[in-house]
Amino acid sequence: MNGIFFALIGASIATALAGFGSAKGVGGAAQASMGVLSEDSSMFGKMLVLTLLPGTQGLYGFIVGFLILVNCGVLGGAIPTLGQGLAYLGASLAIGIGGMVSGFAQGRAAVSGIAMSAKDDKNFSKAMVSVTLVEIYALLAFIVSLLVVITVPALKI
Amino acid sequence: MKMKKVRIVALREDRKRILEHLQDSALIQVRKPDRKGKGFSRVDMTSQMQVFERNVTLTEQALKILGEYAKEKKSLLSAFAGRRAVDPDEIGVIASKAGSVIEVSKRIVAANKQIADNAAERVRINTTLAQMTLWQKLDIPLNTGDTKSTAVFVGTLPAAYDERSLSERLAAENPKLEFELEIQHSENNMTCVVLFAPISQKTMAEDALRSLGFARPMSPTHLVPKEKVRRLNNRLGELEKSTQAAIGEIESLADRREDIKYTQDYFRIRADKYNVINELEHTRHVFVINGYIPEEDCPKLTKLCDRIATCYVEYEDAGDDAPVKLKNNRFARPAQGILTMYAAPSHADIDPTPLLAFFFYFFFGMMFSDAGYGLLMVIAIGIVLKVFKPDEKMRNNLKLFQYCGVSTFFWGLIFGSIFGDAPAAMYNLFTGSKLTMAQLLPWPTLDPQKDALLLMVVSIAFGLVHILVGMGCKFYICFRQKKYAEAFFDTGLWMLMLVGFAVLGVGMATTQTVLYIGAGIAIACAVGLVLTQGRDKKGFGKVIGGLASLYDVTSYISDLLSYSRLLALGLTTGVMAQVFNMLASMFGTGVVGIIFLVLIMLVGHAINIGLNALGSYVHTMRLQYVEMFSKFYEGGGKEFEPFSLQSKYIKIQEDK
Repeated sequence: MNGIFFALIGASIATALAGFGSAKGVGGAAQASMGVLSEDSSMFGKMLVLTLLPGTQGLYGFIVGFLILVNCGVLGGAIPTLGQGLAYLGASLAIGIGGMVSGFAQGRAAVSGIAMSAKDDKNFSKAMVSVTLVEIYALLAFIVSLLVVITVPALKI
Repeated sequence: MKMKKVRIVALREDRKRILEHLQDSALIQVRKPDRKGKGFSRVDMTSQMQVFERNVTLTEQALKILGEYAKEKKSLLSAFAGRRAVDPDEIGVIASKAGSVIEVSKRIVAANKQIADNAAERVRINTTLAQMTLWQKLDIPLNTGDTKSTAVFVGTLPAAYDERSLSERLAAENPKLEFELEIQHSENNMTCVVLFAPISQKTMAEDALRSLGFARPMSPTHLVPKEKVRRLNNRLGELEKSTQAAIGEIESLADRREDIKYTQDYFRIRADKYNVINELEHTRHVFVINGYIPEEDCPKLTKLCDRIATCYVEYEDAGDDAPVKLKNNRFARPAQGILTMYAAPSHADIDPTPLLAFFFYFFFGMMFSDAGYGLLMVIAIGIVLKVFKPDEKMRNNLKLFQYCGVSTFFWGLIFGSIFGDAPAAMYNLFTGSKLTMAQLLPWPTLDPQKDALLLMVVSIAFGLVHILVGMGCKFYICFRQKKYAEAFFDTGLWMLMLVGFAVLGVGMATTQTVLYIGAGIAIACAVGLVLTQGRDKKGFGKVIGGLASLYDVTSYISDLLSYSRLLALGLTTGVMAQVFNMLASMFGTGVVGIIFLVLIMLVGHAINIGLNALGSYVHTMRLQYVEMFSKFYEGGGKEFEPFSLQSKYIKIQEDK
């Protein structure tokens, strides 16, 4: 038995869970920013930046998922062994769960940031920086997933 | 840049001329006098100012109305366009036309009011019409009064009746009542009825009807309903015509839009000037302007004042509350916007713009890292700059991204990414070979996908440099303020400790000796920190304070890890581009395949540029604000805002 099944579950988990987090985060932020835009449409650029901030988790998850596909014989590479397949699955949990939860959290932070910059334009840069503080945890999860995924093909398990 | 306080004393008769020149030259920021000097008075210009401001508001309204009825043709890119340059002679023309333009604006506003009034009246008429239609069949007016012998009731009852049921109800109310009735209209909850009764029974009839809930019509008229409806419809027609005429008038005035804009600026500038007059100190013959001026502009101001009027100019050193003006070379100037978005530097700070600029370009490039995208940014911004000639602020923003584009281009070459792996993907698609970018490119590349670990180390190393530079600034600032203990113990030791860790890291990868050296430095610094960090405390607190300070090492570690985003975002751009290239080449090399190829490439790379340029911008900014600025930058200064021509649409060219 080879590990393609587990590898593909891993790819799905990475993409779907992280995407779930981002979708919820961006969705909430977009609602808040539309409230602001209905009052003052000139804020569109700033609102867009804040709204898109929780979107990176989905991107990270997608990249991990994509790299798994590239490595495990779907879009190139060789069919993984059972051990390798399980390794992919394990790796995808980091960005899947980390991305999802940080996506929720960053979405909430973005909503507050939007409210804050709506009151005063000058708050924008502070809001933006505060919202990116959450990002580091998605980033760490991503890097862990990434390092595992790119080393798995060389692992003899 | 060093600021000076300036004081100009001049004759009142020269006031207008001097103020105009000061406003043109934008040399000084006017400041409220410290305290009211003896013998000085203020001149109140509030009423004139209000006239100008009212004109500004009026023209703003007029422009808004014009925008609603006669859309301005605007391209998407015109947001970049700068204000129109106007030479000083044209100002005279604008000023002379101001009166007529204000008239035009008033006409536009009046026409708009007419339209709004018409709309309101139409609503009223429509309500009346809706009631009148119920009475369509009636051939007497709604307010028909009693005749000599007959009492007439015209009105509605709040229930549905036909003639028989109503007669029965009335008879039940008062059996003695004689009456004749006609139902005009009947629906669910309403019946329109006309009732005739002998005049002698008027009160009886009234009582009976009232007990059924009878009400006279809301809008009684002496006209027969049909006639009334006809007249109302006529009125509606008239309103429509009047509205059309008003719209026509507004549209016909649309070609005055530019005039209105310039006039608005003209009044805005004048309002500013009068606002400044309010701040001046006057005596009977002279007036005094207080202000701030950058030191290097002082000779210019002296020369200007000498040329235009008899006046006395004196300078003195400005205190700590003076505003700040940043001055940077062409390379760093675009990053000033990023700095002031955080905070303008206070007097204790150094101006970090050059450092900020360098790292901003560098990190942005590393995150965006694609030669194709970088080249595209440089060229597109070059064209926009050339064609639209944007204003200073917009130009600086665009320049910022142009420099970032250059850096992106070079990082792209290093990472071997040109629109992702587009060259290799295309080559493979048409030749069927399986080349990678690394094999295709003649120079050695560092593929973030293959060498992620190496690149992460590189990212963190750059982060270390970045943080050390930030701490170096702190060291310099403390040193300059002669706070030597803070400079050496609080900042210097930590810097050395970080270097020690770096050496230790290198040692782990290379030889034991280097490792021991690094560990030695780090331990020595740690001991130094423990000994010095508790120096403000007493007794036992000294030791505790020293030990506790070592805990800060966690914050440095998390700062350093934060730079791993350089790798993550760089990788994101590359992988996304690769995904789109792969999708694009999935449809083969037939005609349809080529069409899909081009479409997917265009859309995909546009999406990728949008998403990742935004990400790179935001995260670069964060690295500057959170990781670097927190090490040394205080901010909280006020920006220098000179008394100048603040205009929205025109830019007055200086005399050459």
